[in-house]
Formats: sequence, C-alpha cells, structure tokens
Amino acid sequence: MIQTFTGTVLGSMYGQVSDFQRIRPPVTPADGEYDRLIEAVALRRDREAFARLFEHFAPRLKAYLMKAGAPAGAAEDFAQDAMLTVWRKAELFDSAKARAATWIFTIARNRRLDVLRQDARRTPMPEIELSQDEPERPDQILSMSQDAARLKTAMARLSADQIEVLRLAFFQDNPHSEIARLLNLPLGTVKSRIRKAMIKLRTLLEDDGGEA
Amino acid sequence: MSARHNPSEERLLAYAAGTLSPPEAVVVAAHLAMRPENDAWVRQLQAVGGRLLDELEPAAMPDDALARVLARAEADAGQALASTPLNDMAGLPEPLRRYALGPWRWLGPGMRARDVHAPRDGDCRVILLEIGPGRETPKHTHGGVELTCVIHGAYATETERFDVGDFEEADTEVLHQPRVVSPDPCLCVVALDGQIQLDGWLGKLIQPFIKL
Repeated sequence: MIQTFTGTVLGSMYGQVSDFQRIRPPVTPADGEYDRLIEAVALRRDREAFARLFEHFAPRLKAYLMKAGAPAGAAEDFAQDAMLTVWRKAELFDSAKARAATWIFTIARNRRLDVLRQDARRTPMPEIELSQDEPERPDQILSMSQDAARLKTAMARLSADQIEVLRLAFFQDNPHSEIARLLNLPLGTVKSRIRKAMIKLRTLLEDDGGEA
Repeated sequence: MSARHNPSEERLLAYAAGTLSPPEAVVVAAHLAMRPENDAWVRQLQAVGGRLLDELEPAAMPDDALARVLARAEADAGQALASTPLNDMAGLPEPLRRYALGPWRWLGPGMRARDVHAPRDGDCRVILLEIGPGRETPKHTHGGVELTCVIHGAYATETERFDVGDFEEADTEVLHQPRVVSPDPCLCVVALDGQIQLDGWLGKLIQPFIKL
C-alpha cells in the first residue's frame, strides 16, 4: 500500500481547521515546572525535585500499566522501575526537544514490551532513544517540533471518538482487536477510525507553519 | 522518482505506543532510522502519549515506594550503564546494529539470508535477506504478515518499486514475487510471521529445502 503524507491534499480535506490554529492556550505552568525538576535531578541529583516528579508521575505510570491489563503489584513495580530510569538517565533529558511528560512516556513505552511479554528474551527491545542528538532537520520537519501548546490545541480539535481510539491505542495491549471488542465495532472500523484520527492530528500539527 | 512507501498510520501509532510485536518493531525502527520525517512524526506521537499519560486518573502508590526507589538509586551511584555492543555490519541502520547476527545461509543462486537475533514473538522473527541484481524470489504467499524495509538497492513487485528506506507490508492475500532492479545486490530487513508458501510445481518441489 502506498502512503503519501502530502499536507496539501490532507489540508484541503480539513481546510476549515486553519482558523482555529491561531487560538493558542497558554502553556500550562506545570509543564515547564516538571522540565525544571528533571534538570535539577540531572544537575544536582536533587532528591526533593525527584520526590515531586515521583508524586506526580508514579501514580500515572501505575495507572498506565493497569490499563494494559497488568495487576496492581506489577504496575507498581513498573512505575518504580520507570522512575528509577528517570533518575538514572536525567542527563539525557533536553527540555528544548521534549517535555517532561513526553520523555517519561517514552521511558514507559520502552519498558512496557519487556513487562507485558513473558516470552521476551534478554535481547534489547527496539527502543526509542531518550537522547535526541539528531542532525539538523529540514524546515518542514522543524515545524512539527514538540510544542506543548500547539499539541494541546490540536488534541482539543479531535472528536471524542477520535480521542477515545487514540487513548485505547496508546494504553491497551493488543490494541486493535481489543479496541474492537471494547467498543463493539468491527476491526476494519477501528482501523479506519484510528487512521482518520491520525490524519487529522497530522494535518492540525503540520499545516501550522511553526510560527510562534 | 516513485512514491515513497511508508508504514501505515496504524502501524506507526502502534510503534509509538510500544504495542507492536518486537520483530515488527525492529523493522519499523530500521525504517525510521532512514526516514527522518517519519521519525519526527513518531517523536510527535510520543508527545501525544505524554499528554494522555498526564491526563490519566492517578492510581495510588504504596507509601514506601519513593523511599525504595531512592534506595535503589543510591545503590547504583557511580555505576556506568552498560551499552550494547554493536555487530560488525557497519552498513546497517543503527537500530539493527545492536543485535547479534547469525551466519549467512545460502538460499539459492544469488540469494542468502542471516538471522537477526532480535526478540521473537511466537513464529515471528527477523532476518536480513540479500538478493543479487536481476534475481527474483520464488513466487510466494505468506502464512502471516511480512514487513520489509530496504537497506540497500531496490526491488520491484508486479506493480510497485521499493527503494532504500521504503517499507512494505504484505499479508496472506498477497502473491509475491519481488525482483531486484538495482545494479547492486538488494539488502532488506524482514519480519516474517508464519511460513512462506512457495507457489507453483517448482516451488512445491523446492519448498522443503528453503528454510527462512
């Protein structure tokens, strides 16, 4: 199957969207606060900063794994392991490249395969790198930079159905068939709903030329 | 230049969420290393995952959880994190270099393969497949989904051409006979699920000798 991600074609499908992109909510103060806390852990092994990160993220990491079907005990171990990775790898965090929640999500994402798959052998899983020392990217890619406010606006523009399939896709194990079962929908409908949600999100994020 | 072949939106989302099977994730990771624009999109999806994680209803952690994590953090102070040694195929995209490789196996004239010792998932495993210029694989169908990413050279199926970085998904419906169209051998990384079924009387004759 050929997939072409041409913003112009998709953009015309959702042409009405661009007006909304000028309305930007202010960045939540908490977003930047957690970034500073990870930096404090990196710079000074700041236990107080780590405690505040733990208080916010550990219960969410536990909830994250329980959504995938893990029992409470395993989910608590998972949350602790993920937070230990935050401590150990804090130097790799760069707030110019990713927000705290994004970075911690990637840690959780990398761990989940190990935990949920009993048959996983001790070979490294295909991980998403936590450091992002990538070469310079072309302009159109820079416009997709992780801008928390822009993402928030874009996600607010998705329908309730679309947010729901995204949430299920991110949290369920074996997501497509599981989503079909939970929503009582045919598998094909689930896949096309996911695809539409993704295309809309991409359009909302890409069409915005990255202006401040 | 022909259209670029990318993974479907559902597959990129499953990769970003960490719900793809490990062998499939290895092939997607190789593709992303060669397609910065898709890698940037997966990074953006990490931010979506981060937001969804942040919005989860917290699940209470045990009172001593923080103290236990800090004790473990203390215990490994000063220890360097071990990094995975890289294999000897310098031309491979970085995500593939972290896996040990099996010996090359002869499959037929101008055709050889070696195992990538990545995590398996049931029947699904990862191989490197190298096919000489002008050669074609025997006509075959698949017992399950086959994901392919081109690392060097190019091949063409009956209808489409696949160049470096291109990604192909073939399922049980597809009768497949790729032919190498580059002047150099074509090297691909492939996630195979289930047995390959060779088509035709010759295929049925040689099937027992071809073990991928």
